[in-house]
Amino acid sequence: MRRRLATGAAVLALGAIVIASGRGLQAIPRNDVLGKQLLYLPTPEILKLASLGNQGLMADLLYIWSIQYYSQFSLDEKFLYLENVFDLVTDLDPHYFDAYRIGALIMSVQRSGDPAQHKAAVARLYDKGLANMPDSWELAEVAAWDAHLVLNDQELALRWMRMASERPGAPPEVKRVYGRWRDNIHGWTIEDSIAYWEEVLAEAERKPDINLATSHLYDSYVTLHRRRLDPLLGAIRQRTGGCPGSWQEVVDRGLLPEAPLDYLGNPYTIDPATCTLVAHKRIRWD
Amino acid sequence: MRAVVAIARNTFREALRDRVLYLFLGFALVLLASSKLFGLLTVGDEGKVIKDFGLAGIQLATMLIAVMMSVLLISREVDSRTVYNILAKPVRRWQFLIGKYLGLLATVAANLALMTAVLLVVTAVYLRELDAGLLFAAAMTLLEMALLTAFATLFAVLTRPMLGSVFTLAVFVIGHVSEDIWLLTRHVHGGLVRPLVAAVYAVLPNLERFNFKTEVVHDLGISSGQVALTVIYGLAYTALVLVLACARFRSKDLV
Repeated sequence: MRRRLATGAAVLALGAIVIASGRGLQAIPRNDVLGKQLLYLPTPEILKLASLGNQGLMADLLYIWSIQYYSQFSLDEKFLYLENVFDLVTDLDPHYFDAYRIGALIMSVQRSGDPAQHKAAVARLYDKGLANMPDSWELAEVAAWDAHLVLNDQELALRWMRMASERPGAPPEVKRVYGRWRDNIHGWTIEDSIAYWEEVLAEAERKPDINLATSHLYDSYVTLHRRRLDPLLGAIRQRTGGCPGSWQEVVDRGLLPEAPLDYLGNPYTIDPATCTLVAHKRIRWD
Repeated sequence: MRAVVAIARNTFREALRDRVLYLFLGFALVLLASSKLFGLLTVGDEGKVIKDFGLAGIQLATMLIAVMMSVLLISREVDSRTVYNILAKPVRRWQFLIGKYLGLLATVAANLALMTAVLLVVTAVYLRELDAGLLFAAAMTLLEMALLTAFATLFAVLTRPMLGSVFTLAVFVIGHVSEDIWLLTRHVHGGLVRPLVAAVYAVLPNLERFNFKTEVVHDLGISSGQVALTVIYGLAYTALVLVLACARFRSKDLV
């Protein structure tokens, strides 16, 4: 009995010492040398060997650690090795979609250092992912939106959105966004634009996709027709001092073989104030 | 054949009495708790993390069972002198050894099956999906463990129990790193390192050939030819090691 009591007392006493010392240690602030942990970041080859065939798991652990580590924005020096960390994760698991996406996000929002270098690092990480995952239109689309909205690099955004639109399984929305961006930055001739939207229309199956592609085609043809017909109207006004009231008048003067029609087969009109072509876009969206 | 089955069944029962299945229970609980925890910590695809953790856990747990059980494979029979009773009956030495091997493999397979079932339940509960690829990855792990267990049997015959476990563990480690080390030696010019590593690479099994975890987790394509060759490689290598073990056991002095 006495021995049991002694054992119990010893266990309690030692337990109390363990808890007290643990709390004491917790209360002592640790020196956090900036970026110190990252100085010992191993190479992908070493980590792959150490994982004994579980490099996917190793990539998970490193990725989870990295998103916790880089969540604290107070220490700018941490970002010194940011690219190396996500390079390492994606070397271990080249198909790790989230690592590319979140790695690029963290890189693009970091405050310290040269923004141009951050942008280049984001581009390198995404390019690496796009090379490692040639069938993923999703990664190319994410990269394109990041370039468009976060990095504000429209050329880069366009390059990646084109990649997304050309990859297998890309939905019509992606193809539309690419066409729209391409139109917006005037990177295409109007003929290129028409050819592109004709292709999108041919592939579209859902009514909204068909309507949107038709709408873009309509606008492209209006632009093309304006380019040809507005100078003609200008020449008539210059010569006669007045603007023709309708396209039939232009036809009657022998300047056009027939009245021009829009993409949907409806007639154009003429704005008498500016003496330019007017289109009446009517697409049923239901 | 009846003798082999009887010995295998007995070895399996013995393993159950050793409560190695508790390892399964421990694994199941840790997997259930940690997968959700790591899922909470990650940003993005929770499913990848759960599958990576599950498949790695299955591989490491079954490897530990194979390594731990190999200690007891032959030595316990010799120490308790039951081996003399068995071999005094019309049971040949190779039958005894193969029976022991199959019993150990059955223990490993039972654990692996239970752990895989837990992983499937975890993915069904958390991810609302039933991934047949996990079964394939587990089957390939079983093939790897069949080979590792054959090595455990060989080392149980060749050396002392503790050393046998260490050697089996070494085969597992080297089997997973040999290809990478061999590739790294391409950067080494001259000296003995390269031929030495090449020799190790040629003699020991390349266990990475059974590793389809990345393909399964990322749903990448695997050719049927690759699977067939992997199965042939695994079975042939296992048979080779068992033949060597039987040959050594035939002339082993059990006193």
